[in-house]
Amino acid sequence: MTGLLSLLPARLGDRARWAGAAVFVLLALALPPLASFLEQVNPDSSARFTIFLGTGVMVLTLWAVSYNLMLGYTGLVSFAHAAYYGIGAYTVAIFYTKTHGGPLLVGLALAPVVSVVLGFVTGLVALRAVRLYFSLLTLAISQLLFAIATQWYDVTGGDNGLHGLTPPDVLSDYAPMYYFVAASVLVCLLLMFVIVRSPFGAALQAIRENRDRAASVGINVKAYELAVFTVASMFAGVAGGLYAFYQQEAFPQMLFWTSNADPVIVALLGGIQSFLGPAIGAIVLTVLRNYLSKNFSQYVDVVLGAIVLALVLLAPGGLVSLPQLFVRLRNQFRRGEPVTQVEESAGEAIRMLDVQKAVEAEAIQAAAIETGAVLLRLEGLSKRFGGLRAVEDVTLEVRQGDRHAIIGPNGAGKSTLFNLLTGRLKPTSGRVWFDGRDITGKPVHVIAKAGIGRAFQITSIFPRLTVRENLQYAMLAHRGRTRRPVGIANRIYRDEAMTLLEAVGLGGYADLPAGQLSHGDQRAIELAISLALGSKLILLDEPTAGMSAFETQKAMELVRRIATERKLTLLFCEHDMEVVFGTARTVTVMHQGRILTEGTPEQVRRNPEVQKIYLGELEMEEVTA
Amino acid sequence: MDPGKFLLFTMAGLSEAAFLFIVAAGLSLVFGALRVINMAHGSLYMVAAFVTAVVAAQMGAVVGFWSGLLAAVVVAGALGAVIEIVVLKRVYQAEHLYQLLGTYALTLIIAGGVRYFFGANFRTISPPDFLNGSVSLLGGSYSVYSFFMIGAALTIGGGLWLMLYRSPLGRNIRAAVSDPVLLNATGVNVSRLYTVVFMIGAILAGLGGVLVAPSQVVSLDMDTNVLVLAFAISVIGGLGSIVGSLVGALIVGLIESFGVSNHYTAHLSIAFVFIVMAVVLTVRPSGLFGRPEP
Repeated sequence: MTGLLSLLPARLGDRARWAGAAVFVLLALALPPLASFLEQVNPDSSARFTIFLGTGVMVLTLWAVSYNLMLGYTGLVSFAHAAYYGIGAYTVAIFYTKTHGGPLLVGLALAPVVSVVLGFVTGLVALRAVRLYFSLLTLAISQLLFAIATQWYDVTGGDNGLHGLTPPDVLSDYAPMYYFVAASVLVCLLLMFVIVRSPFGAALQAIRENRDRAASVGINVKAYELAVFTVASMFAGVAGGLYAFYQQEAFPQMLFWTSNADPVIVALLGGIQSFLGPAIGAIVLTVLRNYLSKNFSQYVDVVLGAIVLALVLLAPGGLVSLPQLFVRLRNQFRRGEPVTQVEESAGEAIRMLDVQKAVEAEAIQAAAIETGAVLLRLEGLSKRFGGLRAVEDVTLEVRQGDRHAIIGPNGAGKSTLFNLLTGRLKPTSGRVWFDGRDITGKPVHVIAKAGIGRAFQITSIFPRLTVRENLQYAMLAHRGRTRRPVGIANRIYRDEAMTLLEAVGLGGYADLPAGQLSHGDQRAIELAISLALGSKLILLDEPTAGMSAFETQKAMELVRRIATERKLTLLFCEHDMEVVFGTARTVTVMHQGRILTEGTPEQVRRNPEVQKIYLGELEMEEVTA
Repeated sequence: MDPGKFLLFTMAGLSEAAFLFIVAAGLSLVFGALRVINMAHGSLYMVAAFVTAVVAAQMGAVVGFWSGLLAAVVVAGALGAVIEIVVLKRVYQAEHLYQLLGTYALTLIIAGGVRYFFGANFRTISPPDFLNGSVSLLGGSYSVYSFFMIGAALTIGGGLWLMLYRSPLGRNIRAAVSDPVLLNATGVNVSRLYTVVFMIGAILAGLGGVLVAPSQVVSLDMDTNVLVLAFAISVIGGLGSIVGSLVGALIVGLIESFGVSNHYTAHLSIAFVFIVMAVVLTVRPSGLFGRPEP
């Protein structure tokens, strides 16, 4: 057993994936002759039936891969996908019956058109909500469409559906029909493959990994979600159309929300993190269902349920993750103890900062503006939460090239102020001017594109993307290139990202998933992202929280020197007074939502009122302790 | 519509709202505390209805319904505990996709189990004797049992409110909703608390199933039917809010009942429910009484 296991590679590389794809295509092409051969060897198996099953596998693969554009690549769980599949089928069937036997190929061409229009319109509604509520809204939409399909007798045939669609003569036999369906499916798969590798696909993955962060590098999250929802609906429409084409029927149950189980199970079975994983899932599910319905027709669902449950609990990565799982088990078996395959960094990035190199890195492309001009101006900015005045009438100017600190005791309104600046919160009143533009109440991604970046927040990265992809995708988004659905995202800005990573000491970790890095290193990624984006104003929210004294010193040194050399402007809030007075040129003190005073570090340090509120806080802490 | 008819459909809507409220309140309670949407909630409701039907048939007319109720509550609670411990505890940390899929798998398995133990045939039971019958009011005839359902729902709702806001258990549950880590640090066994909350949710689903059993047919498709409605109610009212469940159940119950009242809308009453759901979510993305997800 262990001997067999040791043949497996330690990690599935690109080659294994390409080999998998090649095997799939060859198998797809060779199925009809293989089926005939099987029939000769084993007369019990009918070649026609095998080919028929193979046609089903193809359609299911297309349906599941289109679902996985949302599920695996964008992180959207939709209950409406079956509805667009059903609509594709109905389009073919209705066209056929209304034209009294018109050419099915025309109906098939209409299927994606109808489903893409419906997908776009219903997507507009569904994407008003996020996450779980989005899922439940798609459920409502799908039940609505289902109700229409069952009730609109004149057009849809009601509960019975529409049957007896006759395909063109050339395709009337099983094998030609199979080749026609398989070719259509392969073309669609190829299109989707191009999409997921493109800069557009990169934006989708960024959204899946971290919605908020994606917005803050300049991605219009809702627009991309709507785009992928619409594209997925279109391909579901093709799949449904093909289903009606080869099964010669369309029926309401296709739209029912529980029908989504099929693509979901298939995607999960194969592995939602892989493009062709669903193809494996489709084969397994079809074979299994065929076997079960012959022998245990009552309990097909129970077995499927048990499989899904086992996958969720034991192998959430699906079948394509099994080799890795085996490798882990093998290592465990050999060494007698659990071994995690995770390589971890140890916070070296911050320690090994090469400040000079970082400053020279090409990716830093901030525009030079002379010191002294006002970059950011807040006019009477207020934010109230019910009766609470979190920020009250704040007027503040941040000058180009300044290093401006905002300090104040807990609850002074610093975080709220930052959230108002980045667009996460909308102000109750007042205005925000940045670089001569009024950005009051603008969405996060617009403000990010205008040139306000934030870094060193409670770490905010894309955990399952590699360190280099974190930078590349952020640059793609910020430079407005993620609208392109062609090209290979991984190859764009590769060198630029590497230069920057070398500079912040993360060069050795470029290909590791960012989530595996230590806390300190994840912050270095954050900083590198901000630099890569070429933001003019960088907001740092408690940059050194959780760092050792040594890391703090190094990190702030980098920040300070980059700001000086590149004429970047910094606005930061921080509790460590040593960091504040060592870094800032201007200090603003906030207290209870208002600005208490502003001045040079020296002036602020000597201000008796400031001393009082900090002392007061200390006394309070003693009392409560 | 004349007043008598109006009252008739209102009453039908209210008795529908009654059991839907209990089921949806359980779903909402579990979501509020555990942040998990339990797709198997309808399955627990179905199991309870079948258990009630079977036990009631065995025990005869006098104690049948009540022993069915007891058995169903025990079964639903026990099943809930098993589900929470064996499945949910392992997916709390996972993305919500895996929670949806894991509990969805349970609906398939439980549906198979019900088919195996109780058979594929539908069943009916009658209400306990003293609730069997009807009263006349304004020219319409109303079954006593529908009044009982409304009363029972109000009682259960009141009990739930007392439990949540007037008992140490409720205090812990509310604390777990806002900060489970802090609650754990104060010495409360949050893991066990979650099991208890899920059991309460399962029992509410079960009570809904018991209540509905004498008024409708007990059949194998009742799990997904009620689940979809409970989702709609929770979403309209706002997930995690008990008041929201009540309002949502009233809206859905009345829409369904008045939808059937008219020949033209009869087949589309379920569609109206989902239109209302879509409109509410479009205007208030977290439902009428829900708080936005953090």
